[in-house]
Amino acid sequence: MIESFKQLEQLASDRDLAEVFLETDEQEHGIPGDQILEALRKRRQVMRECVERGKGGGTSMGKLVGNEAKLLNEAFRSGKTFLDPLTIKAELYALSVMGENSRMGVIVAAPTAGAGGVVPGMLLALEEERHIDTERTVRALVVAGGIGSIIALSANISGAAGGCQNEVGVASSMGAGAVAYMMGGNTHQSIHAAALALKNTLGLVCDPVGGLVEVPCVKRNALFAVHGLTAAQLAMAGVDSVIPMDEIVEAMVRIGRALPRGLKETAEGGLATTLTGCEIGQRLKDEANQRRAERAAERERVAKERKSGSTLS
Amino acid sequence: MGPVMVGPSSSHTAGTARLGRVAREILDEDPTTVRFFLNPPLAATYRGHGSDFALVGGAIGLNVDDPRIPEALRIAEQIGVEVEFHDEDLGDVHPNTVRIEIEGKGRKAEIVGSSIGGGVIEVFKINGFQARFKGDSPTLLLFYRDRPGMISEVTKIIAQEAINIASLSCSRKQRGKDAFMQIDVDSPISEEALARIGAIKEMKDARYLDRIP
Repeated sequence: MIESFKQLEQLASDRDLAEVFLETDEQEHGIPGDQILEALRKRRQVMRECVERGKGGGTSMGKLVGNEAKLLNEAFRSGKTFLDPLTIKAELYALSVMGENSRMGVIVAAPTAGAGGVVPGMLLALEEERHIDTERTVRALVVAGGIGSIIALSANISGAAGGCQNEVGVASSMGAGAVAYMMGGNTHQSIHAAALALKNTLGLVCDPVGGLVEVPCVKRNALFAVHGLTAAQLAMAGVDSVIPMDEIVEAMVRIGRALPRGLKETAEGGLATTLTGCEIGQRLKDEANQRRAERAAERERVAKERKSGSTLS
Repeated sequence: MGPVMVGPSSSHTAGTARLGRVAREILDEDPTTVRFFLNPPLAATYRGHGSDFALVGGAIGLNVDDPRIPEALRIAEQIGVEVEFHDEDLGDVHPNTVRIEIEGKGRKAEIVGSSIGGGVIEVFKINGFQARFKGDSPTLLLFYRDRPGMISEVTKIIAQEAINIASLSCSRKQRGKDAFMQIDVDSPISEEALARIGAIKEMKDARYLDRIP
Protein backbone atom coordinates (compact mmCIF):
# COMPACT_ATOMS: atom_id res chain seq x y z
CA MET A 1 0.00 0.00 0.00
CA ILE A 2 1.21 3.50 -0.80
CA GLU A 3 0.85 5.29 2.51
CA SER A 4 2.10 8.77 1.74
CA PHE A 5 2.92 11.13 -1.08
CA LYS A 6 6.55 11.05 0.00
CA GLN A 7 6.57 7.31 -0.55
CA LEU A 8 4.73 7.75 -3.86
CA GLU A 9 7.36 10.18 -5.12
CA GLN A 10 10.17 7.78 -4.25
CA LEU A 11 8.37 4.80 -5.74
CA ALA A 12 7.26 6.49 -8.94
CA SER A 13 9.83 9.24 -9.52
CA ASP A 14 10.76 8.09 -13.03
CA ARG A 15 7.77 5.88 -13.79
CA ASP A 16 4.31 6.29 -15.27
CA LEU A 17 2.13 7.31 -12.32
CA ALA A 18 -0.99 5.48 -13.53
CA GLU A 19 1.04 2.30 -13.98
CA VAL A 20 2.32 2.52 -10.40
CA PHE A 21 -1.21 2.94 -9.00
CA LEU A 22 -2.53 0.05 -11.12
CA GLU A 23 0.29 -2.23 -9.96
CA THR A 24 -0.29 -1.36 -6.31
CA ASP A 25 -4.02 -2.08 -6.64
CA GLU A 26 -3.29 -5.41 -8.26
CA GLN A 27 -0.88 -6.40 -5.48
CA GLU A 28 -3.14 -5.17 -2.73
CA HIS A 29 -6.63 -6.14 -3.87
CA GLY A 30 -5.86 -8.71 -6.54
CA ILE A 31 -7.78 -6.70 -9.13
CA PRO A 32 -5.99 -6.86 -12.51
CA GLY A 33 -5.02 -3.53 -14.04
CA ASP A 34 -7.12 -4.03 -17.17
CA GLN A 35 -10.21 -4.56 -15.01
CA ILE A 36 -9.62 -1.24 -13.27
CA LEU A 37 -9.03 0.50 -16.59
CA GLU A 38 -12.26 -0.99 -17.92
CA ALA A 39 -14.18 0.26 -14.85
CA LEU A 40 -12.70 3.71 -15.36
CA ARG A 41 -13.54 3.69 -19.07
CA LYS A 42 -17.13 3.26 -17.96
CA ARG A 43 -16.75 6.10 -15.43
CA ARG A 44 -15.37 8.39 -18.14
CA GLN A 45 -18.31 7.47 -20.37
CA VAL A 46 -20.83 8.20 -17.59
CA MET A 47 -19.11 11.56 -17.00
CA ARG A 48 -19.27 12.35 -20.72
CA GLU A 49 -22.98 11.47 -20.95
CA CYS A 50 -23.67 13.42 -17.81
CA VAL A 51 -22.01 16.51 -19.32
CA GLU A 52 -24.09 16.19 -22.49
CA ARG A 53 -27.37 15.85 -20.56
CA GLY A 54 -26.44 18.60 -18.14
CA LYS A 55 -25.61 21.23 -20.78
CA GLY A 56 -29.32 21.60 -21.46
CA GLY A 57 -30.07 22.72 -17.90
CA GLY A 58 -33.22 21.96 -15.91
CA THR A 59 -34.53 22.53 -12.41
CA SER A 60 -32.94 21.13 -9.27
CA MET A 61 -34.89 19.29 -6.55
CA GLY A 62 -34.87 22.38 -4.32
CA LYS A 63 -35.47 24.66 -7.33
CA LEU A 64 -32.53 26.89 -6.29
CA VAL A 65 -30.34 26.18 -9.32
CA GLY A 66 -30.53 24.55 -12.70
CA ASN A 67 -29.78 26.77 -15.69
CA GLU A 68 -26.16 27.73 -15.05
CA ALA A 69 -24.75 25.30 -17.61
CA LYS A 70 -27.35 26.26 -20.19
CA LEU A 71 -26.62 29.99 -19.82
CA LEU A 72 -22.84 29.59 -20.04
CA ASN A 73 -23.20 27.23 -23.00
CA GLU A 74 -25.41 29.69 -24.87
CA ALA A 75 -23.02 32.56 -24.19
CA PHE A 76 -20.07 30.42 -25.32
CA ARG A 77 -21.73 29.24 -28.52
CA SER A 78 -22.78 32.72 -29.54
CA GLY A 79 -19.29 34.14 -28.99
CA LYS A 80 -20.22 36.22 -25.97
CA THR A 81 -17.63 34.79 -23.56
CA PHE A 82 -14.26 36.43 -22.91
CA LEU A 83 -12.19 33.64 -21.29
CA ASP A 84 -10.30 31.01 -23.28
CA PRO A 85 -12.22 27.90 -24.38
CA LEU A 86 -10.39 25.50 -22.00
CA THR A 87 -11.39 27.55 -18.96
CA ILE A 88 -14.96 27.99 -20.16
CA LYS A 89 -15.38 24.29 -20.93
CA ALA A 90 -13.98 23.33 -17.53
CA GLU A 91 -16.61 25.57 -15.92
CA LEU A 92 -19.32 24.43 -18.28
CA TYR A 93 -18.74 20.71 -17.80
CA ALA A 94 -18.50 21.05 -14.03
CA LEU A 95 -21.79 22.97 -14.02
CA SER A 96 -23.39 20.35 -16.28
CA VAL A 97 -22.47 17.48 -13.96
CA MET A 98 -23.58 19.36 -10.87
CA GLY A 99 -26.86 20.31 -12.52
CA GLU A 100 -27.54 16.64 -13.18
CA ASN A 101 -26.50 15.83 -9.62
CA SER A 102 -28.96 18.36 -8.22
CA ARG A 103 -31.73 16.67 -10.22
CA MET A 104 -30.81 13.23 -8.82
CA GLY A 105 -29.37 12.21 -12.16
CA VAL A 106 -26.75 9.48 -12.52
CA ILE A 107 -23.24 10.86 -11.93
CA VAL A 108 -19.80 9.62 -10.90
CA ALA A 109 -18.75 10.42 -7.33
CA ALA A 110 -15.33 12.05 -7.82
CA PRO A 111 -14.51 11.67 -4.99
CA THR A 112 -17.98 12.68 -3.73
CA ALA A 113 -21.18 13.64 -5.49
CA GLY A 114 -21.24 17.16 -4.05
CA ALA A 115 -17.77 17.73 -5.55
CA GLY A 116 -18.42 15.52 -8.56
CA GLY A 117 -18.20 18.27 -11.19
CA VAL A 118 -14.59 19.30 -10.60
CA VAL A 119 -12.67 16.30 -11.98
CA PRO A 120 -14.81 15.72 -15.11
CA GLY A 121 -14.87 19.48 -15.72
CA MET A 122 -11.08 19.67 -15.76
CA LEU A 123 -10.29 16.39 -17.50
CA LEU A 124 -12.95 16.37 -20.20
CA ALA A 125 -12.35 20.02 -21.10
CA LEU A 126 -8.61 19.38 -21.39
CA GLU A 127 -9.11 16.20 -23.41
CA GLU A 128 -11.24 18.07 -25.91
CA GLU A 129 -9.30 21.31 -26.13
CA ARG A 130 -5.82 19.74 -26.29
CA HIS A 131 -6.91 16.75 -28.42
CA ILE A 132 -5.80 14.19 -25.88
CA ASP A 133 -6.51 10.52 -26.51
CA THR A 134 -9.48 9.28 -24.42
CA GLU A 135 -7.38 6.39 -23.15
CA ARG A 136 -4.99 8.91 -21.59
CA THR A 137 -7.97 10.51 -19.81
CA VAL A 138 -8.88 7.06 -18.46
CA ARG A 139 -5.34 6.67 -17.13
CA ALA A 140 -5.56 10.19 -15.69
CA LEU A 141 -8.63 9.01 -13.77
CA VAL A 142 -6.41 6.29 -12.26
CA VAL A 143 -4.04 9.05 -11.15
CA ALA A 144 -6.89 11.15 -9.74
CA GLY A 145 -8.26 8.14 -7.86
CA GLY A 146 -4.81 7.21 -6.59
CA ILE A 147 -4.21 10.69 -5.22
CA GLY A 148 -7.66 10.69 -3.60
CA SER A 149 -7.09 7.34 -1.96
CA ILE A 150 -3.81 8.45 -0.36
CA ILE A 151 -5.57 11.55 1.00
CA ALA A 152 -8.41 9.33 2.26
CA LEU A 153 -5.95 7.32 4.38
CA SER A 154 -5.75 10.26 6.76
CA ALA A 155 -8.88 12.29 6.03
CA ASN A 156 -12.58 11.51 5.81
CA ILE A 157 -13.74 12.68 2.42
CA SER A 158 -16.93 14.46 3.38
CA GLY A 159 -18.15 17.96 4.15
CA ALA A 160 -19.59 16.61 7.38
CA ALA A 161 -16.14 15.56 8.56
CA GLY A 162 -14.11 18.60 7.59
CA GLY A 163 -15.99 21.10 5.46
CA CYS A 164 -15.77 21.71 1.74
CA GLN A 165 -11.95 21.55 1.74
CA ASN A 166 -12.45 17.80 2.22
CA GLU A 167 -14.72 17.62 -0.84
CA VAL A 168 -14.17 20.28 -3.50
CA GLY A 169 -10.64 20.87 -2.17
CA VAL A 170 -9.75 17.21 -2.52
CA ALA A 171 -11.47 16.99 -5.92
CA SER A 172 -9.48 19.91 -7.31
CA SER A 173 -6.32 18.36 -5.88
CA MET A 174 -7.03 15.00 -7.53
CA GLY A 175 -7.91 16.76 -10.78
CA ALA A 176 -4.79 18.94 -10.73
CA GLY A 177 -2.52 15.91 -10.32
CA ALA A 178 -4.39 14.18 -13.16
CA VAL A 179 -4.15 17.20 -15.45
CA ALA A 180 -0.39 17.42 -14.90
CA TYR A 181 -0.24 13.73 -15.86
CA MET A 182 -2.31 14.31 -19.01
CA MET A 183 0.00 17.15 -20.04
CA GLY A 184 3.04 14.89 -19.79
CA GLY A 185 4.17 15.96 -16.34
CA ASN A 186 6.23 13.64 -14.15
CA THR A 187 5.28 12.28 -10.74
CA HIS A 188 6.89 15.20 -8.91
CA GLN A 189 4.82 17.65 -10.97
CA SER A 190 1.57 15.72 -10.41
CA ILE A 191 2.12 15.67 -6.66
CA HIS A 192 2.94 19.37 -6.56
CA ALA A 193 -0.05 20.22 -8.76
CA ALA A 194 -2.21 18.32 -6.26
CA ALA A 195 -0.48 20.07 -3.35
CA LEU A 196 -0.90 23.58 -4.79
CA ALA A 197 -4.58 22.95 -5.47
CA LEU A 198 -5.35 21.47 -2.04
CA LYS A 199 -3.28 24.02 -0.12
CA ASN A 200 -5.29 26.87 -1.55
CA THR A 201 -8.66 25.43 -0.60
CA LEU A 202 -7.81 24.90 3.07
CA GLY A 203 -10.44 26.32 5.39
CA LEU A 204 -13.23 26.12 2.83
CA VAL A 205 -16.41 25.49 4.82
CA CYS A 206 -19.49 23.44 3.97
CA ASP A 207 -22.55 25.64 4.50
CA PRO A 208 -25.21 24.51 2.03
CA VAL A 209 -28.34 26.65 1.93
CA GLY A 210 -31.32 24.68 3.18
CA GLY A 211 -29.02 21.65 3.52
CA LEU A 212 -29.27 21.00 -0.23
CA VAL A 213 -26.34 20.23 -2.55
CA GLU A 214 -27.24 23.29 -4.63
CA VAL A 215 -26.05 26.62 -3.19
CA PRO A 216 -23.09 27.19 -3.23
CA CYS A 217 -22.10 23.68 -4.40
CA VAL A 218 -23.03 23.84 -8.09
CA LYS A 219 -21.14 27.02 -8.98
CA ARG A 220 -18.32 26.25 -6.56
CA ASN A 221 -17.53 23.12 -8.56
CA ALA A 222 -17.12 25.25 -11.70
CA LEU A 223 -14.83 27.77 -10.01
CA PHE A 224 -12.66 25.11 -8.41
CA ALA A 225 -12.32 23.17 -11.65
CA VAL A 226 -10.55 26.29 -12.97
CA HIS A 227 -8.59 26.56 -9.71
CA GLY A 228 -7.26 23.02 -10.25
CA LEU A 229 -6.21 23.81 -13.83
CA THR A 230 -4.21 26.82 -12.67
CA ALA A 231 -2.50 24.74 -9.97
CA ALA A 232 -1.48 22.18 -12.61
CA GLN A 233 -0.20 24.98 -14.84
CA LEU A 234 2.08 26.27 -12.07
CA ALA A 235 3.44 22.81 -11.32
CA MET A 236 4.07 22.18 -15.03
CA ALA A 237 6.09 25.40 -15.15
CA GLY A 238 8.28 24.05 -12.34
CA VAL A 239 6.63 25.81 -9.40
CA ASP A 240 6.68 23.61 -6.28
CA SER A 241 4.60 23.78 -3.14
CA VAL A 242 6.85 24.78 -0.25
CA ILE A 243 4.75 22.73 2.16
CA PRO A 244 4.88 19.02 1.19
CA MET A 245 1.60 17.36 0.20
CA ASP A 246 1.52 15.00 3.21
CA GLU A 247 1.76 17.97 5.57
CA ILE A 248 -0.98 19.81 3.70
CA VAL A 249 -3.28 16.82 4.20
CA GLU A 250 -2.44 16.83 7.91
CA ALA A 251 -3.23 20.54 8.06
CA MET A 252 -6.53 19.89 6.31
CA VAL A 253 -7.50 17.28 8.89
CA ARG A 254 -6.59 19.62 11.76
CA ILE A 255 -8.53 22.51 10.23
CA GLY A 256 -11.49 20.21 9.65
CA ARG A 257 -11.49 19.24 13.32
CA ALA A 258 -11.25 22.86 14.40
CA LEU A 259 -14.18 23.96 12.24
CA PRO A 260 -17.36 24.36 14.25
CA ARG A 261 -20.16 21.89 13.61
CA GLY A 262 -22.31 24.62 12.04
CA LEU A 263 -19.85 24.88 9.13
CA LYS A 264 -19.73 21.17 8.41
CA GLU A 265 -22.73 20.40 6.25
CA THR A 266 -25.34 20.94 8.95
CA ALA A 267 -26.76 24.08 7.29
CA GLU A 268 -26.48 25.80 10.67
CA GLY A 269 -23.92 28.45 9.74
CA GLY A 270 -22.26 30.47 6.99
CA LEU A 271 -24.25 31.01 3.80
CA ALA A 272 -27.06 28.82 5.14
CA THR A 273 -27.74 31.32 7.92
CA THR A 274 -27.54 34.51 5.88
CA LEU A 275 -30.82 36.43 5.57
CA THR A 276 -31.52 34.94 2.15
CA GLY A 277 -30.22 31.51 3.18
CA CYS A 278 -32.60 31.42 6.14
CA GLU A 279 -35.56 32.54 4.02
CA ILE A 280 -34.87 29.79 1.51
CA GLY A 281 -34.36 27.24 4.29
CA GLN A 282 -37.69 28.17 5.85
CA ARG A 283 -39.50 27.99 2.51
CA LEU A 284 -38.04 24.53 1.84
CA LYS A 285 -39.15 23.35 5.28
CA ASP A 286 -42.67 24.72 4.77
CA GLU A 287 -42.94 23.06 1.38
CA ALA A 288 -41.71 19.73 2.73
CA ASN A 289 -44.21 19.88 5.60
CA GLN A 290 -47.01 20.67 3.18
CA ARG A 291 -46.06 17.72 0.97
CA ARG A 292 -45.99 15.44 4.00
CA ALA A 293 -49.42 16.68 5.10
CA GLU A 294 -50.78 16.10 1.60
CA ARG A 295 -49.36 12.58 1.50
CA ALA A 296 -50.85 11.80 4.92
CA ALA A 297 -54.24 13.15 3.83
CA GLU A 298 -54.05 11.05 0.67
CA ARG A 299 -53.25 7.90 2.66
CA GLU A 300 -56.15 8.61 5.00
CA ARG A 301 -58.50 9.15 2.07
CA VAL A 302 -57.42 5.85 0.46
CA ALA A 303 -57.83 4.01 3.76
CA LYS A 304 -61.30 5.50 4.24
CA GLU A 305 -62.34 4.51 0.73
CA ARG A 306 -61.13 0.98 1.30
CA LYS A 307 -63.07 0.81 4.54
CA SER A 308 -66.32 2.12 3.05
CA GLY A 309 -65.75 -0.14 0.02
CA SER A 310 -65.51 -3.22 2.23
CA THR A 311 -68.66 -2.26 4.19
CA LEU A 312 -70.60 -1.96 0.93
CA SER A 313 -69.55 -5.38 -0.29
CA MET B 1 -12.63 7.29 -8.02
CA GLY B 2 -16.03 6.97 -6.42
CA PRO B 3 -19.02 4.97 -7.59
CA VAL B 4 -21.42 5.70 -10.43
CA MET B 5 -24.46 6.80 -8.47
CA VAL B 6 -27.65 8.81 -8.33
CA GLY B 7 -27.11 12.38 -6.99
CA PRO B 8 -26.94 14.57 -5.03
CA SER B 9 -24.50 13.54 -2.25
CA SER B 10 -22.13 10.59 -1.96
CA SER B 11 -22.34 10.56 1.86
CA HIS B 12 -26.08 10.95 1.85
CA THR B 13 -27.13 8.92 -1.15
CA ALA B 14 -24.42 6.43 -2.16
CA GLY B 15 -23.16 5.64 1.35
CA THR B 16 -26.61 5.56 2.91
CA ALA B 17 -27.98 3.37 0.12
CA ARG B 18 -25.14 0.94 0.83
CA LEU B 19 -25.91 1.01 4.56
CA GLY B 20 -29.55 0.21 3.79
CA ARG B 21 -28.37 -2.55 1.51
CA VAL B 22 -26.12 -4.05 4.21
CA ALA B 23 -29.11 -4.23 6.57
CA ARG B 24 -31.16 -5.93 3.83
CA GLU B 25 -28.37 -8.44 3.06
CA ILE B 26 -27.89 -9.31 6.73
CA LEU B 27 -31.64 -9.82 7.14
CA ASP B 28 -31.52 -12.09 4.08
CA GLU B 29 -35.24 -11.95 3.29
CA ASP B 30 -37.76 -9.40 2.05
CA PRO B 31 -38.22 -6.75 4.73
CA THR B 32 -41.66 -5.84 6.09
CA THR B 33 -40.58 -3.04 8.44
CA VAL B 34 -37.50 -0.81 8.43
CA ARG B 35 -36.79 1.77 11.11
CA PHE B 36 -34.00 4.31 10.67
CA PHE B 37 -32.54 6.12 13.70
CA LEU B 38 -30.52 9.07 12.46
CA ASN B 39 -27.68 10.77 14.34
CA PRO B 40 -28.53 14.49 14.79
CA PRO B 41 -26.27 15.96 12.03
CA LEU B 42 -27.66 13.40 9.56
CA ALA B 43 -31.20 14.01 10.79
CA ALA B 44 -30.67 17.73 10.06
CA THR B 45 -29.63 17.21 6.45
CA TYR B 46 -30.97 13.87 5.25
CA ARG B 47 -34.12 15.06 3.47
CA GLY B 48 -32.36 17.70 1.37
CA HIS B 49 -29.73 15.19 0.29
CA GLY B 50 -32.17 12.42 -0.55
CA SER B 51 -30.88 10.14 2.22
CA ASP B 52 -34.44 9.04 2.95
CA PHE B 53 -34.87 7.68 -0.59
CA ALA B 54 -31.39 6.20 -0.52
CA LEU B 55 -31.65 4.43 2.85
CA VAL B 56 -35.01 2.96 1.88
CA GLY B 57 -33.76 2.13 -1.63
CA GLY B 58 -30.85 0.16 -0.20
CA ALA B 59 -33.08 -1.56 2.34
CA ILE B 60 -35.36 -2.84 -0.42
CA GLY B 61 -32.37 -4.10 -2.36
CA LEU B 62 -31.59 -1.35 -4.90
CA ASN B 63 -28.01 -0.58 -5.96
CA VAL B 64 -26.51 2.92 -5.60
CA ASP B 65 -26.67 3.56 -9.36
CA ASP B 66 -30.27 2.36 -9.72
CA PRO B 67 -32.31 5.18 -11.28
CA ARG B 68 -35.31 4.03 -9.21
CA ILE B 69 -33.64 5.28 -6.00
CA PRO B 70 -35.49 8.64 -6.08
CA GLU B 71 -38.75 6.62 -6.20
CA ALA B 72 -37.76 4.29 -3.35
CA LEU B 73 -40.24 5.65 -0.78
CA ARG B 74 -43.15 5.13 -3.16
CA ILE B 75 -41.90 1.68 -4.21
CA ALA B 76 -41.58 0.66 -0.54
CA GLU B 77 -45.16 1.73 0.08
CA GLN B 78 -46.35 -0.24 -2.97
CA ILE B 79 -44.63 -3.45 -1.94
CA GLY B 80 -45.90 -3.04 1.60
CA VAL B 81 -42.71 -2.19 3.47
CA GLU B 82 -43.38 -0.02 6.49
CA VAL B 83 -40.75 2.72 6.90
CA GLU B 84 -40.06 4.93 9.91
CA PHE B 85 -37.52 7.68 10.52
CA HIS B 86 -36.47 8.74 14.00
CA ASP B 87 -33.78 10.96 15.54
CA GLU B 88 -31.34 9.35 17.94
CA ASP B 89 -28.11 10.63 19.47
CA LEU B 90 -25.73 7.80 18.60
CA GLY B 91 -22.91 9.21 20.73
CA ASP B 92 -19.32 9.96 19.76
CA VAL B 93 -19.53 8.79 16.17
CA HIS B 94 -19.12 10.17 12.63
CA PRO B 95 -21.82 12.82 11.97
CA ASN B 96 -23.47 10.74 9.25
CA THR B 97 -24.29 7.69 11.31
CA VAL B 98 -27.50 5.70 11.34
CA ARG B 99 -28.92 2.78 13.30
CA ILE B 100 -31.15 0.54 11.23
CA GLU B 101 -33.68 -1.97 12.56
CA ILE B 102 -35.00 -4.19 9.83
CA GLU B 103 -37.60 -6.97 10.08
CA GLY B 104 -38.92 -9.56 7.70
CA LYS B 105 -41.54 -12.24 8.18
CA GLY B 106 -39.23 -14.57 10.07
CA ARG B 107 -36.10 -12.67 11.03
CA LYS B 108 -34.83 -9.34 12.17
CA ALA B 109 -31.48 -7.57 12.15
CA GLU B 110 -29.90 -4.40 13.43
CA ILE B 111 -26.85 -2.48 12.27
CA VAL B 112 -25.18 0.79 13.22
CA GLY B 113 -22.96 2.34 10.58
CA SER B 114 -21.52 5.56 9.19
CA SER B 115 -21.39 6.93 5.69
CA ILE B 116 -17.96 8.56 5.69
CA GLY B 117 -17.85 10.08 2.19
CA GLY B 118 -17.37 9.00 -1.41
CA GLY B 119 -19.82 6.15 -0.86
CA VAL B 120 -17.52 4.52 1.71
CA ILE B 121 -19.23 2.99 4.75
CA GLU B 122 -18.19 1.62 8.11
CA VAL B 123 -20.63 -0.64 9.94
CA PHE B 124 -19.47 -0.95 13.52
CA LYS B 125 -22.36 -2.82 15.11
CA ILE B 126 -24.20 -5.84 13.78
CA ASN B 127 -27.03 -7.33 15.86
CA GLY B 128 -25.53 -5.73 18.96
CA PHE B 129 -22.01 -7.04 18.37
CA GLN B 130 -18.92 -4.90 17.73
CA ALA B 131 -17.98 -5.21 14.07
CA ARG B 132 -15.91 -3.40 11.46
CA PHE B 133 -17.64 -4.14 8.22
CA LYS B 134 -17.05 -2.03 5.11
CA GLY B 135 -18.75 -4.14 2.46
CA ASP B 136 -15.73 -3.95 0.18
CA SER B 137 -14.80 -7.62 0.23
CA PRO B 138 -16.60 -10.98 0.57
CA THR B 139 -17.30 -11.48 4.25
CA LEU B 140 -18.52 -14.20 6.59
CA LEU B 141 -20.64 -13.10 9.52
CA LEU B 142 -20.96 -15.86 12.09
CA PHE B 143 -23.22 -15.85 15.13
CA TYR B 144 -22.50 -18.61 17.62
CA ARG B 145 -22.14 -19.58 21.23
CA ASP B 146 -18.70 -18.73 22.59
CA ARG B 147 -16.58 -21.86 23.19
CA PRO B 148 -12.93 -22.95 22.79
CA GLY B 149 -11.95 -24.16 19.33
CA MET B 150 -14.58 -22.32 17.32
CA ILE B 151 -12.10 -20.17 15.39
CA SER B 152 -9.92 -23.09 14.41
CA GLU B 153 -12.88 -25.15 13.19
CA VAL B 154 -14.14 -22.32 11.04
CA THR B 155 -10.75 -21.36 9.62
CA LYS B 156 -9.99 -25.02 8.88
CA ILE B 157 -12.95 -25.20 6.51
CA ILE B 158 -11.92 -21.94 4.87
CA ALA B 159 -8.36 -23.24 4.49
CA GLN B 160 -9.64 -26.46 2.90
CA GLU B 161 -11.34 -24.29 0.29
CA ALA B 162 -7.93 -22.71 -0.40
CA ILE B 163 -9.38 -19.31 0.42
CA ASN B 164 -7.18 -16.63 1.93
CA ILE B 165 -8.40 -14.74 5.00
CA ALA B 166 -7.75 -11.00 4.85
CA SER B 167 -8.81 -10.33 8.42
CA LEU B 168 -10.69 -11.93 11.27
CA SER B 169 -12.20 -10.49 14.39
CA CYS B 170 -14.44 -11.73 17.17
CA SER B 171 -16.53 -10.16 19.82
CA ARG B 172 -18.86 -11.55 22.42
CA LYS B 173 -21.42 -10.33 24.85
CA GLN B 174 -20.20 -12.53 27.69
CA ARG B 175 -17.83 -15.47 28.12
CA GLY B 176 -19.55 -18.68 27.00
CA LYS B 177 -22.57 -16.75 25.70
CA ASP B 178 -23.51 -15.13 22.40
CA ALA B 179 -20.53 -14.38 20.20
CA PHE B 180 -19.83 -13.01 16.75
CA MET B 181 -17.05 -13.55 14.25
CA GLN B 182 -16.37 -11.52 11.13
CA ILE B 183 -14.05 -12.95 8.52
CA ASP B 184 -13.07 -10.97 5.43
CA VAL B 185 -11.92 -13.26 2.66
CA ASP B 186 -10.15 -12.67 -0.65
CA SER B 187 -12.46 -14.81 -2.79
CA PRO B 188 -16.08 -16.03 -2.64
CA ILE B 189 -17.01 -18.98 -0.43
CA SER B 190 -18.93 -21.93 -1.89
CA GLU B 191 -22.46 -22.78 -0.75
CA GLU B 192 -21.16 -26.14 0.36
CA ALA B 193 -18.43 -24.67 2.58
CA LEU B 194 -20.92 -22.22 4.05
CA ALA B 195 -23.26 -25.13 4.85
CA ARG B 196 -20.39 -26.94 6.58
CA ILE B 197 -19.58 -23.86 8.64
CA GLY B 198 -23.28 -23.50 9.47
CA ALA B 199 -23.31 -27.11 10.70
CA ILE B 200 -20.51 -26.58 13.24
CA LYS B 201 -21.65 -27.33 16.78
CA GLU B 202 -23.02 -24.24 18.59
CA MET B 203 -23.11 -22.23 15.34
CA LYS B 204 -26.41 -20.35 15.33
CA ASP B 205 -26.24 -18.52 12.06
CA ALA B 206 -23.62 -18.40 9.33
CA ARG B 207 -24.13 -15.61 6.83
CA TYR B 208 -22.09 -14.87 3.75
CA LEU B 209 -22.13 -11.41 2.19
CA ASP B 210 -20.58 -10.61 -1.14
CA ARG B 211 -19.15 -7.14 -1.79
CA ILE B 212 -21.89 -4.55 -1.36
CA PRO B 213 -22.02 -2.75 -4.73
